Amino acid sequence: MLGAASNHSGEIKLPPETTALRASPLPGYRIATQKCSICHSADYITLQPPAMSLKQWTAEMVKMQHAYGAPIDDEDIKPLAIYLTVTYGDAGTVSDADRSLPGPDPSAAGAVIDVQALLAKNACLSCHALDAKLIGPAYHDVAAKYRGNLEAPSSVADNIRAGGANKWGAVPMPAFPNLTPQELQALAAFVLSQP
Amino acid sequence: MALGDSPNRSPTSIGRRRFLRDAGVALAAAGGGAFTSMAATQSQPFGNGERELVAYPQKRPLLRITTRPPHLETPFSVFNEGVITANDAFFVRYHLANIPLAVDLATFRLKVRGKVGTELSLSMAQLRALAPPVEIVAVNQCSGNSRGFFSPRVFGAQLGNGSMGNARWTGIPLNTVLHKAGVAAGAKQVTFRGLDAPVLPSTSAFVKALDIDVASGADVLLAWGMNGRDLPMLNGYPLKLVVPGYFGTYWVKHLSEITVIDEAFTGHDAWFMTTGYRLPDNECGCIAPGTTAPKTTPITKFRVRSFVTSLANNAVVKVGRRTLVKGIAFDGGTGIKRVEASIDGGRSWQEAMLGKNLGRYSFREWTLPIIPEEPGPFGLRVRATAVSGETQPSEASWNPAGYARNVIESLNIVAA
Repeated sequence: MLGAASNHSGEIKLPPETTALRASPLPGYRIATQKCSICHSADYITLQPPAMSLKQWTAEMVKMQHAYGAPIDDEDIKPLAIYLTVTYGDAGTVSDADRSLPGPDPSAAGAVIDVQALLAKNACLSCHALDAKLIGPAYHDVAAKYRGNLEAPSSVADNIRAGGANKWGAVPMPAFPNLTPQELQALAAFVLSQP
Repeated sequence: MALGDSPNRSPTSIGRRRFLRDAGVALAAAGGGAFTSMAATQSQPFGNGERELVAYPQKRPLLRITTRPPHLETPFSVFNEGVITANDAFFVRYHLANIPLAVDLATFRLKVRGKVGTELSLSMAQLRALAPPVEIVAVNQCSGNSRGFFSPRVFGAQLGNGSMGNARWTGIPLNTVLHKAGVAAGAKQVTFRGLDAPVLPSTSAFVKALDIDVASGADVLLAWGMNGRDLPMLNGYPLKLVVPGYFGTYWVKHLSEITVIDEAFTGHDAWFMTTGYRLPDNECGCIAPGTTAPKTTPITKFRVRSFVTSLANNAVVKVGRRTLVKGIAFDGGTGIKRVEASIDGGRSWQEAMLGKNLGRYSFREWTLPIIPEEPGPFGLRVRATAVSGETQPSEASWNPAGYARNVIESLNIVAA
């Protein structure tokens, strides 16, 4: 019990997340894995009523983007809604043509990688700052942890790709499976270059 | 049959099932692999209604709606334990995932700012010293309580009937603090912000606004006590805004900032007032499914509701024998005038006996003995009438967000 004599609540520890999005070859799956879990657990999605249509899931994605400020691009809306409708809603409302739509074009190989644009597009700086802990660790602290570690570039790139929790705090970092190896390396190098 | 002996007392069967956790990428990276655990579950009587029962800090196992941010619903059988809902059974609802997991009273301050004569920054000790504490028994109910029963279904937290609770709140009137700060002439609204925050700056903070006349009412409390104890962390420790009669959306947890403004609340952080938590602006707060309301208004007070707590749907009672049916009723703050029940599907109604009155904002217990004469199924219904004269509709209305359901509850009971 938290008695009146106590001047501190003590720290509570929340149970872990146990729900993952159902894997799918549809391009929206990777976007959902990457973007939705920044702000909420997957059970927000798996909980929803079972027969929502593509039109309804599309409206919900627009709501996430505009009402809740989710970091999803206009081009993400359709593949996300298709994945969610096929997987959790009324799949019959999704046409064969929609199911075979390709995903957003990943950065072309060999193109110049703009780290600042990657940071912005993936909302990295919403949870991380260069030199202060926000929700996730400061890039400065990540760089310090790995200083002198020859495996650092690949370890950090792997961690960005796979996400995870409990290395730096309880709030899990989402996975970023859509990033190319070149983009992951560029982001890892940027993080590790922080003084 | 003795009261509460029904074999189906819980709303639905509680089973144990094997819960196979997905070995997703995030989990693999966290060092885990696939493993199994046993999780008790309970099913709500609507599609995709299976919920795990999970124990959170300071809580008994509750129905987990979502994990991050945490959202927990009270199993309905709890409401048959008494008219006061235990702290460890009280529902939990957050909107934004960046929530406080600890609060240090050495540094915690309640700030009062905006259109006031003197801005305040109060420790909990200073706040408690401002006035003698007052107590009020009041229901807190989620706007979306019972959303899962909407037909057609709507997006949102898919809640059964257990996202409500009734507690004895201890604190001081908000108006004591407003008076100390000195509300400027021309003040229109007061906004309330807690320590919970959005993950992304592009998401609106959870800030709620009350009109100045509502905020100045004697019954609106800054509460630190819940049923004689400190607030559980997940219910808003160390300080919660208590707005009796109003939906839970206004009961801001971890309350840390009160701002008096001289215009209607707008802007990036006003989303939960200007877009969220609104009903169609008409008498019923409803529209035809699939249509759009031309005008909306913020949700405010509860509508009158009543529930049977001693029998669950499909419960079996003895034919020709007396069964004492028990339940609860509440409204938006006028108090309960009358509760009636029907055992013939709503054709005839009998008035129930009301239990002890804990105040006009509290659950009011009711009891009614029934004797089913014939074997077989019968429709048990309950309907409350508030002191205001408001009563419950026999047909459910619909609104796009799934708020404020208060249709007459209808159970199928079997006499055997």
